Amino acid sequence: MKRISMLLVCTVLVLMLPLVAGCAKKKPMTAAPEEAAPPPPVAQEVTEAPSPTTEGDVQPDPLSEDIQSVNAYVYESGLIGDVYFEFDRYELQAEARNRLQKNAEFMKAHPEFVFSVEGHCDERGTNEYNLALGDRRASAAMAYMADLGVPESAAQTITYGEERPVCTQSNESCWWRNRRAHFVITARR
Amino acid sequence: MNRRPLDLVSASLVAALVILALAVEPAALDAQPPPSDTGLGSQDELTLVLEPGQRSLLRLAAPPARGTAALPAAARDAVKTLEDTLRSDLDLSGIFSIQGPAELAAAGIPGDADIDLDLYRSLGNEILLRSDVRSEGEQVVYEGRILDLESGDQILGKRYRGGPDLARRMAHSFADEIVLYFTGRKGVALTSVAFYSDRDGFKELYLMDYDGWNQRRITGHRSTTLSPDWSPDGQEIAYVSYFGGQPGIYRVQLSSGAKSPVVTDGSLNASPAWSPDGSKLAFARSVRGNTEIFVSDLASGTLRRLTDSSGIDTNPAFSPTGREIAFTSSRGGTPQIYVMDAEGANLRRLTFEGDYNDGVAWHPEGDRIAYASRRDGRFRIAITNLVTSETHLLDLGPGNNEQPSWSPDGRRIAFTSDRGGSHQVWLADATGARPIRLTSEGNSWAASWSAYPR
Repeated sequence: MKRISMLLVCTVLVLMLPLVAGCAKKKPMTAAPEEAAPPPPVAQEVTEAPSPTTEGDVQPDPLSEDIQSVNAYVYESGLIGDVYFEFDRYELQAEARNRLQKNAEFMKAHPEFVFSVEGHCDERGTNEYNLALGDRRASAAMAYMADLGVPESAAQTITYGEERPVCTQSNESCWWRNRRAHFVITARR
Repeated sequence: MNRRPLDLVSASLVAALVILALAVEPAALDAQPPPSDTGLGSQDELTLVLEPGQRSLLRLAAPPARGTAALPAAARDAVKTLEDTLRSDLDLSGIFSIQGPAELAAAGIPGDADIDLDLYRSLGNEILLRSDVRSEGEQVVYEGRILDLESGDQILGKRYRGGPDLARRMAHSFADEIVLYFTGRKGVALTSVAFYSDRDGFKELYLMDYDGWNQRRITGHRSTTLSPDWSPDGQEIAYVSYFGGQPGIYRVQLSSGAKSPVVTDGSLNASPAWSPDGSKLAFARSVRGNTEIFVSDLASGTLRRLTDSSGIDTNPAFSPTGREIAFTSSRGGTPQIYVMDAEGANLRRLTFEGDYNDGVAWHPEGDRIAYASRRDGRFRIAITNLVTSETHLLDLGPGNNEQPSWSPDGRRIAFTSDRGGSHQVWLADATGARPIRLTSEGNSWAASWSAYPR
């Protein structure tokens, strides 16, 4: 219900006030993806957008919701994203480094959140080796973000190897989705 | 059934049996009625050493037990369970070709009849399993005899008594004695296998009898629980669980179900492996994103680091003597099996074939290792002889076959296969012959075979 009403509020806001940018939720990257800068801190926009028609129905700050909702929000809005790896590798590709830069921006801007960086693997390796490989992937992601200024206290790493796949089919598109470092907000300071 | 024609080898074996049979205490069966389901003392003189696949199978006739008709219903069911289990055990041992009641009936030998040794021999059998049953109150009494069909002499005789719920145990005990007589090594019918499964939603630890019966869950962490390794005394299992947040190593006492942490600090502690004396656990531990092999002394709790390489080092296994540790390392570029002494010195690489080798398991005699080896994109179980350095692949069938675990007598191998679309625990002869599936619910992985029960 909460999500539906929020969507309604957003829709109303979009229709009535095109300037409001608070509806990144369902529509990331439309016209010019290259230009699409990460949305500015959402908290400000929302408070700036009191509309006569939605008076008394103020949109809540999505980052002040419960942790589960925040996790859904940061992924849906593109503030945080997974990074992917080659089979049996833990080196960061260019695309992964780009993604980690955005993740690092958010983590530095929001020191109130504590992250877990999860290393995952596809099912094709062996279970035990994949536990070690997942540890490497999570650590590689964290080390890169540390170089970008994310403090060590912002996150802890954990490996799940191939034990908690996001996708369970046996094909490359599924395996690819499982070879990842995944970011989860575990607590708010 | 692997029936083979009587050849020269088995003919000479029969001759040997005749001679040996004369040396066997003929009154063993009636010597001392046991008060329980245990055997009448063990037959521990070495007789013949048979290896599965190395000779023709010994042809055994196993007609139905005599006396079944007179039993009350509960005892009759127990006897059926006992007979089915016994035949299954003898078949799994890999040294017999068995004509059971169905085959004998098809050949015109009715059940529960007087013993006519010539009739069984005429069907090509070399030995006869003769079973007699009766009930004593609530208990079932089973008398099993092995007869040499050439001479008519009794080779082995045992009596077991117990409640109907002990039928499988009685069968396993007798099967182990029969296998001991014919091979010089006790059978593994009373051993168990630990594994982990997602059948109840979460990945938890389970136990089962070596033949897949009696599967039961032993953890309820409601998290992700993995990597069981059976202690050498059979009393405990070391394992990995995430229920504390990070993957840590724990141990469970099987008699009480009590669980206790072993090493739980840091981002990753995994792949525990007991030392043969039960005093230590080798395991993989992450040091700033790099897994290394450590050993924990269980009495003092002290940790000792054994490896120091920039590659991944993981999944250790102690040799049967405890003097060496084999493990997986990617220090050479791809995951391969290495070995070092138990203090971390004298490192050398053991595997050179395949681009991904992991999951080393030492044969109980220490002269060879089994492991998963990726060949043409598919994991197969490979065996490397440590004396000759020769490697061969087991032909276990389709799919990925990995995570080998030897039976304590080294004649069987348990493994994980994903043929059929789900991961299940399978069992095969150590030669790779006769793969059979032991689990079917959900997915199951990582069999760890127990030692002989004490």
